[in-house]
Amino acid sequence: MRLCLSCFSLALCLGASLLAGAAEEPFRPEQGKFPPLDKSVAYRGELVFVDHATRRGSLRVEFKSEFFRSPPTPFAMLPYGMVRYHGAPADLRDIPIGTIMNIRAFLPPDPKNSSVVTTPNHWYPLPLENHAILIEDEPSLCLREGKTWKLKEVDLQNNQGLVLATRDSQDAAAAKEPEEKLTIDSTTRFWRGRESLSLADLVAEGTWPASGKKSLGGQSVLLGLIWKPCPDGIFVRYHISDVWLDDKATQRAIQSQTEVHKSLIRSRWMPAFVDKVEYGKFGRATATVTLFGGMDPSLYADFKKDGYTGAINGAENTLKHAGGSYGPAHMASQGTILEVIKTPGVAPMGSSGIQVRFETDLIIEGIRPGRVVRIRPSNWPKVYIPREEFLGEGAKIEDRFPKPDIFPIYR
Amino acid sequence: MMFLVRCFGFLVLGLLGVQANAANEEPRTKNQEQVAVPFRPEGGKFPPLEESVSYRGELVFVDHANRRGCIRVEGTGQFRRNDPHPFAMLPYGIIRYHGAPADLRDIPLGTVMRVRAYLPPDPKTSSVPVLPINNKDKDANGYRGTGIFPAENHAILLEDDASYCLREGKAWKLKEVDLQLNQGLVIATLEPKQGGDGKAAEQKLTLDTATRFWRGRECLRLADLIADGTWPASGKKSLGGQSVLLGLVWKPCPDGIFVRFHISDVWLDDVATQRAAQSQAEVHKTFIRSRWMPAWVDAVEYGKFGHATVTATLFGGMDPSLYADFQKGSSAMMNGAENTLKHTDASYGPGHMASRGSILDVMKAGGEIPLGSSGIQVRFETDLIIEGIRPGKVVRVRPAAWPVVELPREEHLGSFRHEERFPTPAIFQK
Repeated sequence: MRLCLSCFSLALCLGASLLAGAAEEPFRPEQGKFPPLDKSVAYRGELVFVDHATRRGSLRVEFKSEFFRSPPTPFAMLPYGMVRYHGAPADLRDIPIGTIMNIRAFLPPDPKNSSVVTTPNHWYPLPLENHAILIEDEPSLCLREGKTWKLKEVDLQNNQGLVLATRDSQDAAAAKEPEEKLTIDSTTRFWRGRESLSLADLVAEGTWPASGKKSLGGQSVLLGLIWKPCPDGIFVRYHISDVWLDDKATQRAIQSQTEVHKSLIRSRWMPAFVDKVEYGKFGRATATVTLFGGMDPSLYADFKKDGYTGAINGAENTLKHAGGSYGPAHMASQGTILEVIKTPGVAPMGSSGIQVRFETDLIIEGIRPGRVVRIRPSNWPKVYIPREEFLGEGAKIEDRFPKPDIFPIYR
Repeated sequence: MMFLVRCFGFLVLGLLGVQANAANEEPRTKNQEQVAVPFRPEGGKFPPLEESVSYRGELVFVDHANRRGCIRVEGTGQFRRNDPHPFAMLPYGIIRYHGAPADLRDIPLGTVMRVRAYLPPDPKTSSVPVLPINNKDKDANGYRGTGIFPAENHAILLEDDASYCLREGKAWKLKEVDLQLNQGLVIATLEPKQGGDGKAAEQKLTLDTATRFWRGRECLRLADLIADGTWPASGKKSLGGQSVLLGLVWKPCPDGIFVRFHISDVWLDDVATQRAAQSQAEVHKTFIRSRWMPAWVDAVEYGKFGHATVTATLFGGMDPSLYADFQKGSSAMMNGAENTLKHTDASYGPGHMASRGSILDVMKAGGEIPLGSSGIQVRFETDLIIEGIRPGKVVRVRPAAWPVVELPREEHLGSFRHEERFPTPAIFQK
């Protein structure tokens, strides 16, 4: 009887600890699946370092202490992770160093192959969720979430000063955000229609005061934010790099960045996950792939059943092409688009919700279910990309799985 | 006798060893022995510009905290095959963007930059890879040609095309544009802004919907120029040699072209050019005011109990208003710095740790000022002379009018680890 009781209590304890273990198991994205956004962690900080070729960088993360002490914290983009700048799709190379970025990130999907450090910084409470599904600047966040900055007051002395502003939501039910003090100076750019103005221009035309305080009456604008070291022991205070004064200026900024990104993707090809492969004979196969999300709609519109020759190529999680010595334009598998399918419902973040069935007579190891590929429809230019953006001949292990060694460790 | 033979044998072997080492460094003949010694900048001296090597290429990678990066150097082969080539700024090296002083962090990746550079002053502590001295003359193979990996990778000047044109008094003359589907080719020549013999070689440059046109205070798109009839929606149009400044980037281009640059920006008039330069100058002024003016220590006159008077030459290439802030009789701070211009500090940053004092004198040198120098010396008296403030060392100086701010962690030395003082080239991929 005693033995039975002991066994029962032991089983109970084991069961309880297993349950507890299961509850504590942290979420990690899985290969070939788009993770739910609500499992991500949100934070923001200053972009300090960029390694665009391997889609990673460092962010000085905002935390509850002196911002200048926060050491640059490495992050990596998930293969389907989206970068947005000025309200439009972007690449990391487009973002100026110093820009304040908002991030949604997860733990590394596979810590063994993480291209950034996975161990905590013992001195600072910085996030371990460093694999980003979304990294966006302030205007992009505001445009996506339906927010604007309302300028209350400016106080200027010697071409620099403070702006009091609040970030308001169009959603009346949203919680009110506190008033913020932001710095401004002669480097700040003001965009009005197609004009690019300086603080001196606004002072000259009397819109802003040359000196002293002026109410701005809650003027609705979008702000670009950066960080500069600030005096007086302030823990963190951001600086206004850009002010978009009207919708026309905002739309022009969006259009400008969109054009930059469209031309990048047309030359680097659309990234996608391989959902399945139907194998035929003699190397023939039909691959069904889901195109990654966040691009300009005109890029997706280029994928159509047209009977012309496109190309598909294996890629790494960094979105680097597999290339050999001639690059993807020469080495990729040629083929045609058989079908373009729009999946029903709302696509998860990272996905476009568009599937493409692509037939090739050269199915290769890089084009297997769960793998990342890049695909080129027939009407995109056939160009050779630069050396650092594809894996070389006999790819070295560190080309495929870049190590975190590039990042200095600050204690 | 046997002992003498052995000694002679060792002597011969030793001499052969010395010769072999010399041969590894650089091939030379007896007649070239004197002239073949390569030029390297020396600590505490501004090197003559004519000893530098010039090249240009695409900025691919930036490590602004250590003032270094990578450039895809234009050579004789296919540009896209050229691996990014590491470079480091000399402590007095000047960066210019849009015709104004800049920091590496201000230059967008992809920008085509022009470089004037030397061999590493001290190969042992170079923060970028040290290469064989004649590397620029070697064929890099793989259709890359020569000139893409110059050993001269320590830059005294790094500037974008607009800065180069403004410095040299040049301008692009637009001859013709040919547009199809919102992209196309421009035929242009790079000539002296005033005059020119019209014999400059024509160059083909691409442009597209991402190109920005700056006119007065307007920022325009290709679509705007088409809408107002200045440029054609499709087909060719003569542009009549219109004088402009161009911002150049590189994009992969089709049709097997070895190298063709892309126009990122066009400044259509002088107002637009001046506004761009003013904007960048303001960015750099606020940057230097928070990071302090870099300088070299020329001399130290030691006093008692840590007192000393330091004579330092301020580095060149800054906005004149920054130099004007150094006023005789005003208080100031001085701090030791590394060749990367990183402040030496510990955990509290230069605002807390630097030596305080006052400016006794500000002297302007006469004659020709070498590139890298401002030609301005300051005499600074402090009661806290430290190891970082010795003749030949790099320092940073803050006049009283500049704000006291705390710098971010990566921009000063922390617990004085070796790799922070002398960053190794390990960051660069092979």
